[in-house]
Amino acid sequence: MEGFLGAWVAVGLTLFIYSFLYKDNPFFKLAEHLYVGVSMGYTIVRIYYDTMVKSLYQPMVSEGKWWLVIAALLGLLMLTRFIPKITWLSRWSFAFVVGFGSGVVIPRIISSYILQQVQGTLLPLASVGEGGFRFGLAQLNTVLILVGVVTVLFYFFFSIEHRGAIRGAARVGIYFLMISFGAGFGYTVMARMSLLIGRIDDLLLYSSSDYGYATIVLSILIILGLLYWERSSRKAVKKVDMP
Amino acid sequence: MRSFAEKMLAIDRRWIFGLIALATLLPLLYPVGLPIRPSPQVKNVYEYIEGLPEGSVFLLSMDFDPASKPELYPMAVSILRHAFKKNLRMMGMTLWVTGTGMAEKVISDVAQEMGKQRGTDYVFLGFTPGSSAVILNMGQDLLATFPKDHYGMPTSELPVLKGVRSLRDVQYAVSLAAGSPGIETWYVYGKDKYKFELGGGCTAVAAPGIYPLLQTGQINGLIGGLRGAAEYETLLERKGKATSGMDAQSATHFMIILLILACNLFYFVTRRKDTRRR
Repeated sequence: MEGFLGAWVAVGLTLFIYSFLYKDNPFFKLAEHLYVGVSMGYTIVRIYYDTMVKSLYQPMVSEGKWWLVIAALLGLLMLTRFIPKITWLSRWSFAFVVGFGSGVVIPRIISSYILQQVQGTLLPLASVGEGGFRFGLAQLNTVLILVGVVTVLFYFFFSIEHRGAIRGAARVGIYFLMISFGAGFGYTVMARMSLLIGRIDDLLLYSSSDYGYATIVLSILIILGLLYWERSSRKAVKKVDMP
Repeated sequence: MRSFAEKMLAIDRRWIFGLIALATLLPLLYPVGLPIRPSPQVKNVYEYIEGLPEGSVFLLSMDFDPASKPELYPMAVSILRHAFKKNLRMMGMTLWVTGTGMAEKVISDVAQEMGKQRGTDYVFLGFTPGSSAVILNMGQDLLATFPKDHYGMPTSELPVLKGVRSLRDVQYAVSLAAGSPGIETWYVYGKDKYKFELGGGCTAVAAPGIYPLLQTGQINGLIGGLRGAAEYETLLERKGKATSGMDAQSATHFMIILLILACNLFYFVTRRKDTRRR
C-alpha cells in the first residue's frame, strides 16, 4: 500500500511540475510550494534530530559532556543578531567561526588547490630515457595543459594592454575558455537529459496495472484540469474586458 | 526559403519539448542496446575495488539528494553490489542531510539483495552535521565522530568496524556527489591529510569541475553522470537503470545536435538574405 500510494504521489507531483512546460499554472504552483515546504520541513526535522538531539542533548545528558554547553552558547549568541541592543554578542560566535574556519581551510586549500594543481601542470614536456627522446600523447597533453594555463592567465592579466604577442596569447586563451565552456554546456545538457530520463522511466514504471495505471489516470486528470483552468481564465479575461 | 527559416526560428518552444520527450520515450519503450565502452577513469574505480583484498575497509559517501537520483542512485547500486560481491567491509554515510533517507534505502536494499548483515558486513553511519569538520574528525577518531550508527547502535560494538579507528584505516573511499560537500571536500580534508585512496562519482554537470583533480592524480578515478554509471554496470556485467537509459540519452543528444544545426542553418539563411538586401 505504501509503495502504491508513493507511486501516485510521485507521478502526480512529476506531472504537476512538467505541466509548466505548457505554461505557468496552478498545478505547477501547488507542486512548487509543496516541494519548498516538504524539503524545508524534512531538513528541520533531520537537523533537530542529528544536531540538537544526537550531537548536543544526548552527549550532555547521557555521557556527561557538559563542556558542550559552550558550543551551544556560541550557537545561541548567533541569534542575538535579531535583537539590536545585544547584537554585538553575535560577534563572539562569528569570531570563533571565522578564526576556526580560516585556520582549517587555508592550509588545506593551499595544499590541495594550489600546490597539487601547480605540480600537476608543471610536468616534463618530453622524456629522454633508455629509448632515447620520447614525445607521445601524454607529453602532447602536458603541452596542451601548459599552453592552456598560460594563455588563459594572459587573458585575465589586465595590468598591461593586450597588444602584440600578449594579444595573441590572450586570443588563444579565449579559444581554450570557449572549449571549456562548450564541454561544460555539453555535460550540463547530458545531466538535464539524465534527470528527464529518470523521471520518464519512473512514469513508465508506474503506468502498469501494479500501480493502478497511475501515470495514465493522472495524465488524463491533469490535462482535463488544465483545459478547465484555461477555459476559466479566458472567461475571467472576457469579463474584465467587457465594458 | 526565408519565410520557412523565419518561421522555424520563431517556432513555439513547446514543439521542441515534444520532440525531446519523444526522443526520450521511444528508446525507453523500444531499447536498441547501443554498445557502451567503459572509459579509463571509470575502469580505474572498478579495478581498484576489484583489486582490494577481502575484508578491506571501503567507505562510500553518498553526498547527494533525491534531485540527483537518476544519475547517482544507479552508481551507488553498482558500487555497493561490487563491494558486497568482493566481501569488503562497507561503511556508508552521507554529508547531505536531505540525502539521508535515500542513502539508507539504497544501502539496505542492496545489502538485503546480496545477503549481507547490518553491523557484521556493513554499517550505515548516516548523517552528522559539519561537512568538512566531519571528515577532519573522522580522520582523528571515526568512532567519536559517529558514536552510534544511523539506527542507534554503538559503533564501537559493531564487528564490521573492528580495528577501524580513523580514516587512515580506510583502504578506499568513494564519494558520489551532486555538489559540495562532495568529492572536493573529501579530497581537501580527507585524502590530502589522512592519505587514503579516493575515487569519485558525480553528476554530469559537476564533472568538468572535477576533471582537474583526476588529471593531477588527486583522485584515482571518476564516474561521470549516467554515462559513467552505465559504464560501471557494463564492467560489473550487471545491467541496471543506467544502461537502460543510455539509448534514450544518445537519442536526446542526437536530437539536440540536430536542433542546434538546424537553428544555425536557419539563422545563417535569414542573415545572408538580410545582408544581400542592404
